Amino acid sequence: MIRFFFDGRPIEAYPGESVAAALRAAGILALRRSPREGSPRGSFCWMGLCQECTVVADGVRRPACRLEVAGGMVVSSGAVP
Amino acid sequence: MSELTFDSAVIGAGVMGANVALWLARGGMRTTLIDRGEICREASGVNAGTLTLHMTRAALIPYAMKGRALWLSSQAWLGADVGARSASGFSLAFTEAEEEMLVKRAEARSAMGAPIRIVTPAEARAIEPGINPTIRAAAFCALDGHVTAYLTGRGYRAALLQAGVALHEGHGVEGIGVSDAGYVIRRCGAAPIHARRIVLAGGVWLETMLAWLGQHVSVRCLINQLIVTERMRPVMRSVVGIANGLLSLKQFENGTVLIGGGWQGKGDPIRGGIEPIPDNLIGNIQLARHAIPALGETRVLRIWLGLESETEDAMPMVGPLPGLTEAYVIGCVHSGYTSAPYIGRLLAERILGREPEQPLFDPARLMKPRQEQA
Amino acid sequence: MSAADLIIVGGGPAGVEAALEAEAHGLSVILMDEAPQAGGQVYRAPPRAFSGAIQRQADPIGVRLRDRLSASRVQQFFDHTVWSVSPGFRVDALGPKGPVSYEARAVLAASGAQERVVPFPGWTRPEIVGLAGATIMLKSQGILPGRLTLVAGQGPLLLIVAIGILKAGGRVAAIVDLASRAEWLADWPALASRPDLAVRGLAWRAKLARAGVPILYRHAIRQVEKVGARRVSVTVGPVAANGMPLAAPLRGFEVDAVAVGNGLTASTDITRLLRAEHHFEPLRGGWAPKLDAYYRSSVSGLYVAGDGAGIAGAAAAACDGRLAGLCIAHDLGTVAEAEFRRAAAPLRRDAARARRFGTAMAKLMALRQGQVQAIPPETVLCRCEDITRAELTRAVGDGARSLNQLKAWTRCGMGPCQGRICGDVVGAVLVVEGGTREDVGQFTGRTPFRPLPLDQLAGDLAYADLKLPPPAPL
Ligand SMILES: Cc1cc2nc3c(=O)[nH]c(=O)nc-3n(C[C@H](O)[C@H](O)[C@H](O)COP(=O)(O)OP(=O)(O)OC[C@H]3O[C@@H](n4cnc5c(N)ncnc54)[C@H](O)[C@@H]3O)c2cc1C
Ligand SMILES: Cc1cc2nc3c(=O)[nH]c(=O)nc-3n(C[C@H](O)[C@H](O)[C@H](O)COP(=O)(O)OP(=O)(O)OC[C@H]3O[C@@H](n4cnc5c(N)ncnc54)[C@H](O)[C@@H]3O)c2cc1C
Ligand code: FES
Repeated sequence: MIRFFFDGRPIEAYPGESVAAALRAAGILALRRSPREGSPRGSFCWMGLCQECTVVADGVRRPACRLEVAGGMVVSSGAVP
Repeated sequence: MSELTFDSAVIGAGVMGANVALWLARGGMRTTLIDRGEICREASGVNAGTLTLHMTRAALIPYAMKGRALWLSSQAWLGADVGARSASGFSLAFTEAEEEMLVKRAEARSAMGAPIRIVTPAEARAIEPGINPTIRAAAFCALDGHVTAYLTGRGYRAALLQAGVALHEGHGVEGIGVSDAGYVIRRCGAAPIHARRIVLAGGVWLETMLAWLGQHVSVRCLINQLIVTERMRPVMRSVVGIANGLLSLKQFENGTVLIGGGWQGKGDPIRGGIEPIPDNLIGNIQLARHAIPALGETRVLRIWLGLESETEDAMPMVGPLPGLTEAYVIGCVHSGYTSAPYIGRLLAERILGREPEQPLFDPARLMKPRQEQA
Repeated sequence: MSAADLIIVGGGPAGVEAALEAEAHGLSVILMDEAPQAGGQVYRAPPRAFSGAIQRQADPIGVRLRDRLSASRVQQFFDHTVWSVSPGFRVDALGPKGPVSYEARAVLAASGAQERVVPFPGWTRPEIVGLAGATIMLKSQGILPGRLTLVAGQGPLLLIVAIGILKAGGRVAAIVDLASRAEWLADWPALASRPDLAVRGLAWRAKLARAGVPILYRHAIRQVEKVGARRVSVTVGPVAANGMPLAAPLRGFEVDAVAVGNGLTASTDITRLLRAEHHFEPLRGGWAPKLDAYYRSSVSGLYVAGDGAGIAGAAAAACDGRLAGLCIAHDLGTVAEAEFRRAAAPLRRDAARARRFGTAMAKLMALRQGQVQAIPPETVLCRCEDITRAELTRAVGDGARSLNQLKAWTRCGMGPCQGRICGDVVGAVLVVEGGTREDVGQFTGRTPFRPLPLDQLAGDLAYADLKLPPPAPL
């Protein structure tokens, strides 16, 4: 297992798995909030289209479903303040 | 009078045609506005919406200042919120050559009445902390701002209907005939429309429209590229450009940032703006990130191309057409979105028989001798 | 910038088969896909770092496809997201090392399908995933949507997902199917063209029955609400044949995940961008590019194969891909007419047979207008911008007729997905308000095909090295 961080919290993951999969397996479903309603959103299409799973990983905004975890990766919610 | 007979017919429902039609109807004329598509879906619905004096041609500054003021008070006279917001504007210089150009251009525009002054990098960054600290100088103008261009059509449509304008969307005009009672406007797939007066407001399609009336003017078609990012944290409050005019940047209230500056793509009046040039796209983005480095945090969502018209002398074509009775043209106005509410109203005043407050731009200067028929 | 005869966008069954066929006939071929390996959506490979046990579960068809591709001379660029295709052709992509671009005489768009979900109140909750999305969680990530999942929507993915969940040790609360049992049976003649799949379908239904999973035919989700920290309550009710909700009886399920999908639509980013002609084919997912018998679109040199040409399924995608590869080689002059005819005939027969089965499946996935009509006003249609049906109706009242005008007036389709998720359903909603799908049109295709991190696109460059056009006039 490798470890990365989501909003400061350490998460265990299998090498090779996507950030979205690792977070969902850890029970973290809401990855951001929608811009107008502020409602919680999480991975939905799993093919890099909907962008609901957008996170900031090591400073870059990316869909978590298409991002492979790496040990020590620092990930935060893709919500925009 | 039949249902398709009008005092005035305006052809082309962009922001120019919409303004003329609105003021003609409010001035008491039975008016129709005709577009082959839907209202404001061309330049007027897809432009950057910058109300900027930094980018306006110096000679047009007085018109742009009036137009800007009208946009900002549109709630009062249009009855709609089209997202018009006042902001301050900067034009930046990063090199010595750019600084020289900045000073020269600021002087020319100030001479025409734009309140532009040169500020130091420290002053600029005090007002707009997001600017790249490596700037050498900046020109500052308190009178800048922006409109959400994609809302234009929705705002105007309601106002036009309320003013009693008969809006005909969805059928293109194919030609215009001259009759005793005025003009016969032939439409594709729909009945002809009759009007005593006509106003051609066809944007980049004006060359074709004028040819229907045997008038030959060449109209250049610019293919302007715009880039929009996804929503991001607030990184800028002002409108930011660069001395050579190749950048326009602003962040809307919803957090998206619009990147423009007149970089070109490929297209033409027939096919529209179809193909961005990847190198131009990357260049425009590099320039934007250089001006506001925080833009590097966000993502590009969409790139589109809009068609802007320009005459041979790059000055507007607004006024009566030579040799015809009660036929007018309006278009090819540089920074035309900014000044449209004002210039459109000036032409309407002229058509209503009143003396416009500022001079129009006589189309006769651009006319070419009739081309030989093949 | 390097060049090839043919660039193929998409490494699913259509793209890979086309690449292999074209290469076998002497073309130089570049294959690009944003995924790390070939296989597409249907044969999506588990990550290489996963253990042998999971690798062994991968569909053998996909494994063979990848093996054949590795043994070929096709130039492969995986982990490359294509974001633009310019006429002529130039293909721009963002790869692990930044932006790249390649040129070719012809382009084959083999970019597959995307999922459509008909919105209902609560559908944006994070417990809910797409049905097609759930197949990816199961086969490529080895995770379950939840401990207890409700599977809903329409089409063959219902069974695939429910069985996948059971096999992986999860539980299925119910299958909620928009179609009736009779509609499934009506497709038996077409299924007979693929006896292997028909038998598999029967075995699956038996397995579901043993596991005690109820199947509610002619039902759909009414709404989903959060209950407690980890669960949602799903209200399900009966529908008429056109998908319109019927009054009673309603049923409730408490689950921790929902997988829901209403069929697939062709991914037409490339053909829309290049202004190829499209037609609306409701029984093949909706809008799709018009093609001739040689897979040529209306844009010279641009070809389309697979689900991107209209939904017909994985088997048809593979056959069409091979044939398209052959046709392109023929058009580019590396296959003589006689040889082409000889080689094409059996391929055309295979493709026709495969399409018959695929079309029957696609029919089960067709959008039902009654379901669209019944979407309640306060329901969000555009997830990115939180635009509700009521806002859309108001814009129509203000005079918006086309999808593009509606977008301008409401921001529906302006967010990060650029209308890829909502476009088809919003088009159908506009039709409810008046007009045809042709009047309403499609969202204009633009670049980039996916959101691009601005920093990666801009790269590192000194200001002095920026190539600037001449200054604007004063
Ligand atoms: C990308 C871009 C960015 C810009 N940014 C700015 C900016 O930031 N600030 C600024 O001030 N200005 C800007 N401009 C300029 C501004 O948008 C234009 O000057 C202005 O919108 C022109 O309006 P118009 O009504 O003349 O033309 P259009 O809006 O193009 O309207 C012409 C209308 O004529 C119709 N038409 C054509 N042929 C026919 C026919 N045969 N029958 C019937 N109807 C027909 C068309 O459908 C169209 O609706 C920009 C322009 C572009 C393209
Ligand atoms: C999420 C999903 C799950 C599915 N699951 C199943 C299933 O379990 N069983 C089944 O029978 N059918 C399934 N289908 C249907 C199945 O995908 C198709 O019938 C079949 O895969 C079509 O093959 P194709 O080659 O046309 O496209 P695909 O297999 O979809 O391949 C298209 C490829 O193009 C790539 N691509 C697209 N756009 C770009 C771009 N801009 N840049 C780079 N690469 C790009 C994609 O990454 C993908 O690998 C599923 C469909 C989807 C959308
Ligand atoms: S889940 Fe849709 S982009 Fe990741």
